[in-house]
Amino acid sequence: MARRGNNGATFALGAAALLVACAAHGQPASKAVDLSGIWGPYRGGRGADAKFSPPAASPLVLKPEYAKPYEARRAAEAEANQRGEQLANASAQCIPYGMPTMMQVALYPIEIIQTPKQITIISEAFSEVRRVYLDRPQAKPDEVPPGYYGRSVGHFEGDALVVDTIGIKPTVGGYRGMPHSEQMRISERIRLLAPDILHDQITISDPVTLDKPVTYTLAYKRMPPEYEMVEFVCDNNREYVDENGVVRLKLKDK
Amino acid sequence: MNRSAALSLFAAALVAAIPAFGHHSFTMFDMTKRITLAGTVTSFEWTNPHCYIEVDAPDDAGVVKHWSIELGSPSILLQSGWKFNSLKKGDKTTLVINPLKNGQAGGFLSQATLPDGRVVTNGPARQ
Repeated sequence: MARRGNNGATFALGAAALLVACAAHGQPASKAVDLSGIWGPYRGGRGADAKFSPPAASPLVLKPEYAKPYEARRAAEAEANQRGEQLANASAQCIPYGMPTMMQVALYPIEIIQTPKQITIISEAFSEVRRVYLDRPQAKPDEVPPGYYGRSVGHFEGDALVVDTIGIKPTVGGYRGMPHSEQMRISERIRLLAPDILHDQITISDPVTLDKPVTYTLAYKRMPPEYEMVEFVCDNNREYVDENGVVRLKLKDK
Repeated sequence: MNRSAALSLFAAALVAAIPAFGHHSFTMFDMTKRITLAGTVTSFEWTNPHCYIEVDAPDDAGVVKHWSIELGSPSILLQSGWKFNSLKKGDKTTLVINPLKNGQAGGFLSQATLPDGRVVTNGPARQ
């Protein structure tokens, strides 16, 4: 009897916590939409339905003191590119992308695993993993150690999974290589446009480096049902960075 | 907005948001130049962030030279008909490559003819 009583109390507490979490979002929780599956980048292409293509991104508007070094770096990269050289970056050194870049890398798919309390997203490139805790309050910024994936909480609003992410460390490459502070916040609205088409609308705000938030959308198409995710452990990186900060390829002689 | 302007904007948005390459750019390779190597595989490395074919191939004068050829990753190659054992030591193969710009004996694979005669590319066609 006592045991049953405890369960009842636990349930009541859980329900109360959920209500508090929902109240924090200002509206009742919506029913979860099943987003699970393996999703490859959707690029449209010939004959594609235009309504599934992602809308154009909003402009990236950095504060002037950040815009200047950012543009200088972009110019240096373009200049190196003209010389046939690539300047060092984290991914050439096999350092994972982190958020938000991991959400779409080249042709690599992502896998969404959905349970009632958590959505787990795995990117095939670099086997990156992020966890979205459902219907839980976001932590205070000083409770989240800055990292590659930060802390993500989510809830459903209508047909969209709304995700809030904080705690990305400034050395993790930002959207288009933008500089960002520990105060960067990533807001996502992930939803199905059709049974096999998924969009992730990403809005990045940062009171330190951005004059206004930037929004862009990533589109995905469901991979064939037989597709199995491929492992990615970076154990044979032949690229190295020379003394000039340029990426080079190690060759073998036999 | 006309169709081509819309497409350009779409393309610009894609370029902006998505790293085109999983690991590094192709800048070090001369993508405008293609050379053909007909040789013998000394190893096939099915690894990340890239797969590699090590191959001995004779040059125009018949002198055998060793080449290191970079491919996409296993994930990308699986999407275009490759397997981890598509090549093995001793196999004869013909590779079309984009050579390194610095003249060293290395390159990026464009297409390969496997021992069973199939011609495979270095990843699926990019849309």
